Amino acid sequence: MNQNQALITQGLTKSYGRIRALRGVDLEVQRGEILGFLGPNGAGKTTTIRCLLDLIRPDSGTLRVLGIDPQADPVAVRARVGYLPGELSLEANLRVEDQLKYYEELRGNRTDSKHVRALAKRLELDLTMPIRNLSKGNKQKVGVIQALMHRPELLLLDEPTAGLDPLMQQEVYRLLKEARVEGTTVFFSSHIISEVEAIASRVAIIRQGVIVEEAEPRHLVNMAVRRLHVRFGEKVDPGPLDRVEGVSLVSQSNGLHATLQVSGDMDNLIKALANFPVSDFDIERPSLEEIFLAYYRTADEEVD
Amino acid sequence: MAAEFKHTLRRLRGQISGWSIGLTLYSVMMVSLYGSIQEIEGLTEMLQSYPPELLAFFGNLTAITTAQGYMDVYYFSYMTVIIGIFVVSTGASLIVGDEEKGTLDLILSQPVSRTRLFLGRYLGLVMAVTLILLIGWLTWVLPPGSRDMGLTWVEFLRPFLPLWAELLLFGTLALFLSLVMPASRAAGMTAGGLLVANFLLVGLANINQDLQRAVEFTPLHYYQGGSAIDGLNWGWLAGLLAGSLVLMLLAWWRFQRRDIRLGGERTWKLPALSSLLRRRSTSGQQAQGQARS
Repeated sequence: MNQNQALITQGLTKSYGRIRALRGVDLEVQRGEILGFLGPNGAGKTTTIRCLLDLIRPDSGTLRVLGIDPQADPVAVRARVGYLPGELSLEANLRVEDQLKYYEELRGNRTDSKHVRALAKRLELDLTMPIRNLSKGNKQKVGVIQALMHRPELLLLDEPTAGLDPLMQQEVYRLLKEARVEGTTVFFSSHIISEVEAIASRVAIIRQGVIVEEAEPRHLVNMAVRRLHVRFGEKVDPGPLDRVEGVSLVSQSNGLHATLQVSGDMDNLIKALANFPVSDFDIERPSLEEIFLAYYRTADEEVD
Repeated sequence: MAAEFKHTLRRLRGQISGWSIGLTLYSVMMVSLYGSIQEIEGLTEMLQSYPPELLAFFGNLTAITTAQGYMDVYYFSYMTVIIGIFVVSTGASLIVGDEEKGTLDLILSQPVSRTRLFLGRYLGLVMAVTLILLIGWLTWVLPPGSRDMGLTWVEFLRPFLPLWAELLLFGTLALFLSLVMPASRAAGMTAGGLLVANFLLVGLANINQDLQRAVEFTPLHYYQGGSAIDGLNWGWLAGLLAGSLVLMLLAWWRFQRRDIRLGGERTWKLPALSSLLRRRSTSGQQAQGQARS
């Protein structure tokens, strides 16, 4: 493991009885990067993250987090890592500040309380509230704060914006980007493609316990079929657009409106549209499921 | 470890207060009733007229005319079961309770080792039991009526030590079982069931001498109860504490090696049993298939 690697796993396997959750995960995350970890439910995202913190032990394979073997020295790893679990549970009987104080005590009271208050202010979280009275979104904010409050070198986040409203999601993205500027590495799992596009510099896809793709988010989105709705300023014949490479005309009405299906880069289509009097257009972003379907279709075709 | 110890006590403060208040009220009442009971004429004769089986099961009932017998019959003979309910349920959920609620993941993602977490919580349990019994002892010693019983504060204290050791043993058993069984509730019920069964067995062994041999292999056989007022059996006390230590080490060893389950997960890995069940199910299906064909 070199100095630039924040975490590395090689041949990581983990089974729960007869269920093979990880079948040889090979993954590298460089220091300072934000890596989005994608995969359908049960693909092995949470299992991988929990192995990195020594919450569960892999059956075989090696892993290093910030140069440390988590099984040999889990405390040293956890001291430098911030973690947000996918299924966040907090002590219902405590107030938010007591819950955070407890985590601070476990960290040896080395946390900057001003930083905690600043994070709470940015996320609009009342620290005096009893946890039992918090909504799911507000509980998630507590989780985000406890992950960031000790300025960790590495953030392991399992669905970091689950339950947050769009404004708060944007605030969390900003916090993660700021953390990255300060040198923090971010490794997060997500189901939200716009989230991955917004913050990840690289994406790894896990399927059935194996990493099947590592790419830039843009490349991933381009693999999926997108729909484009075009409104023309005057009546036109959109037929020529159907002959553009990677584009098919799905429907048109009165020569004033056309729906197109695009796969691959948009470049050819944009150049072709330059010859038309376009008044407006709208692109439907593919969902993560559509991206997975596109990816798996491609992978299956390659196998065939 | 200090943070976990404090946190455990903070979580248990309601239960510690509740049990202490309950025991205080009971003890104060029993102390105030002692003088009145001694003044009942013909009490010994009345007790002696009880069926011998009843007298044998509950111990020496006729001894309630002495302070030692009174405390044994009305307090120490069944406090193992009464306070045992708290200790067993707390032991069973001490660590696994957090695992089942899903809070253990976040706690163990902080820089705290499993050993420190385990010891912090275990010491918290020990302290909770100690505090409850300490208050129990004070409520026998402090009321003015306790002077009529003619015991020194040390004599009042002695029987609390075997009770403390016995409670720790069953609490630690519940903790160990929670780390090997699929759910804390199952562990609590098993440990609690063993405690009650042991209590009944000791009573039945007083009636049926044939059971004496079996009782010797159970922890409550080595519980002195009120008889400790006259002097402690240090060997028995050390044996009970050694039993707790062994169970604690087994629980610690198990906690070190097991995966932390996500909230709601249940596992009980008995490979031999599960493969046997699978084989039976498969052979059953094959037999049904053959019957159909």
